[in-house]
Amino acid sequence: MSLLMPETGLLFWMLLAFGIVFLILAKFGWPVITGMVEKRTSFINESVKSAEEANKQLENIKIETAAIIAKAHEEEVKILKEAAEMRKQIIQDAKNAASEEAKKIVEATKEQIVAEKERALNEVKDQIAEISIQIAEKVVRDDLKNDKKQAEMIERLLNEIKTSH
Amino acid sequence: MRRLFYILFLSVFFSVNICASTPTEEGEKINVKEIIFDHIGDSYEWHITSVNGKHISIPLPIILFSEQSGFHMFMFSVFHHEESFKGFRIGEKDGKYAGKIVEVNAQGEEVRPWDFSLTKNALALIINCLLLVFIVLWVAKWYKKKPMEAPKGFRGVMEMLIMSVHDDIIKPCVGKDYKKYAPYLLTAFFFIFFNNIMGLIPIFPGGANTTGNIAVTIVLGLCTFFAVNIFGTKEYWKEILWPEVPTWMKAPIPLMPVIELFGIFTKPFALIIRLFANIMAGHSIVLGLTCLVFITAQMGEVVNGSMTVVSVLFSIFMNCLELLVAYIQAYVFTMLSSVFIGLSRVESHH
Amino acid sequence: MLATILGEVVLAQIGATLGAALAVIGASLGIGKIGSSAMEAIARQPESAGDIRTTMIIIAALIEGAALFAIVVCLMAL
Repeated sequence: MSLLMPETGLLFWMLLAFGIVFLILAKFGWPVITGMVEKRTSFINESVKSAEEANKQLENIKIETAAIIAKAHEEEVKILKEAAEMRKQIIQDAKNAASEEAKKIVEATKEQIVAEKERALNEVKDQIAEISIQIAEKVVRDDLKNDKKQAEMIERLLNEIKTSH
Repeated sequence: MRRLFYILFLSVFFSVNICASTPTEEGEKINVKEIIFDHIGDSYEWHITSVNGKHISIPLPIILFSEQSGFHMFMFSVFHHEESFKGFRIGEKDGKYAGKIVEVNAQGEEVRPWDFSLTKNALALIINCLLLVFIVLWVAKWYKKKPMEAPKGFRGVMEMLIMSVHDDIIKPCVGKDYKKYAPYLLTAFFFIFFNNIMGLIPIFPGGANTTGNIAVTIVLGLCTFFAVNIFGTKEYWKEILWPEVPTWMKAPIPLMPVIELFGIFTKPFALIIRLFANIMAGHSIVLGLTCLVFITAQMGEVVNGSMTVVSVLFSIFMNCLELLVAYIQAYVFTMLSSVFIGLSRVESHH
Repeated sequence: MLATILGEVVLAQIGATLGAALAVIGASLGIGKIGSSAMEAIARQPESAGDIRTTMIIIAALIEGAALFAIVVCLMAL
């Protein structure tokens, strides 16, 4: 029976000791430990979550980069094609312009030749006239002592010149 | 398995042989019951060992407050030389106050003064509490130094234990506002666990049967009692005093309220008695098995040799069982306290 | 003679030991039942073996508490 009767002294000391232990630990012990462990778990959870998000974003960025690179390739091909066509076009234009120029020069030359021919012909005509006159003079000096024969000779010469033209 | 059996058999055999050659001697009868109750109970000195018949023990301070003569404080060693000191003496062996300090009051009766001595259990309590505070604060110091790292070694084990109690017992059983009650429940768990473990260690700072003493468990049970009933919600009290049962159970003769009121007291009482009886019974068994050796010492050497081996083996087994019981009793106390607290924080269902 | 044999002290001791024995029988029956149903439950669903083991130990502690009530009363009577 004495086992089941609590001793007052021991009750007092137990109350004192347990109370002090409880106060000390409730203030400086347990909140520190459980708070830090919970902070650590939430930190780890958040880190895991943000690592996952960063991975996802990285994936997205990779996909976008690949798309950009593909588009850049297409553009490159297009630009090359355009450049080739433009080159052909320029050459063609240059050829056309050159041939036109050549035609114009040819025309001009032709005209020039015609003009020169005319002038040369005119000169030659003049010369011929002169020479012929001289010849005629000489020939006709004899004949042209006669006036009538002079007029007849001139008319015949003029008609012959006119018809030869 | 067979090797173990061979080792056991050979040890019994050899111990029998060795002991059979020494002569027997007369000794006094061993009073097992007295030894056990001595070790389990409280005392004014801490008996460490006995060398050659001389007792080596630490005398402890005695603090008395007597109604006749006022406040006294002295060491227990005065009673080694004198029978009575300043009117106080130790109660006689088989009387009502066996082993405790008594005095004679004005009417000539033997009464006990107010006894606040630092007995063996009180000193052991203080030592264990200091150890507990020291260990927990040492663990908490790590978190101030390195907040985001996991601790290693003994600190890691302590953190694992603390968080397992916090996450597996307190959080699910208390419910929503577990943060308010977690300090008390954690303190209760570790207090009981440390005291149980220290009670299993045979030599000086350990070896005192603290949690097997009814006063210690009464305080623990009272703390749970107050934690449950003072912080109980209105709904909790309503369910006790006016439960939702058919009216004939509550109105003219309040049957259910009386049963519920009884329940308020029996639940902490069960906690008290469970812890006390488990630990006391465990220590008694270990002590009894150890006394087995001394009992058989008088019956002859052969019996003594073989029973020593048996007793040692059983003691090993019982000590391992007591380790398990130390943890389980702390676990069950904390779990039931948290369940009761959770039940008292009930919200209205409507 | 009967009065001396059935002296107060002896009767109390007989009563105490019988009471303790009955309490232990009751406790062991109860814990045996728990153990057997726990085994069956683990056999049915091996993945909840941890939960079942914990619950079994807790309930065993509760039953032992009730048995130790009786032991304490018997020790008082001894």
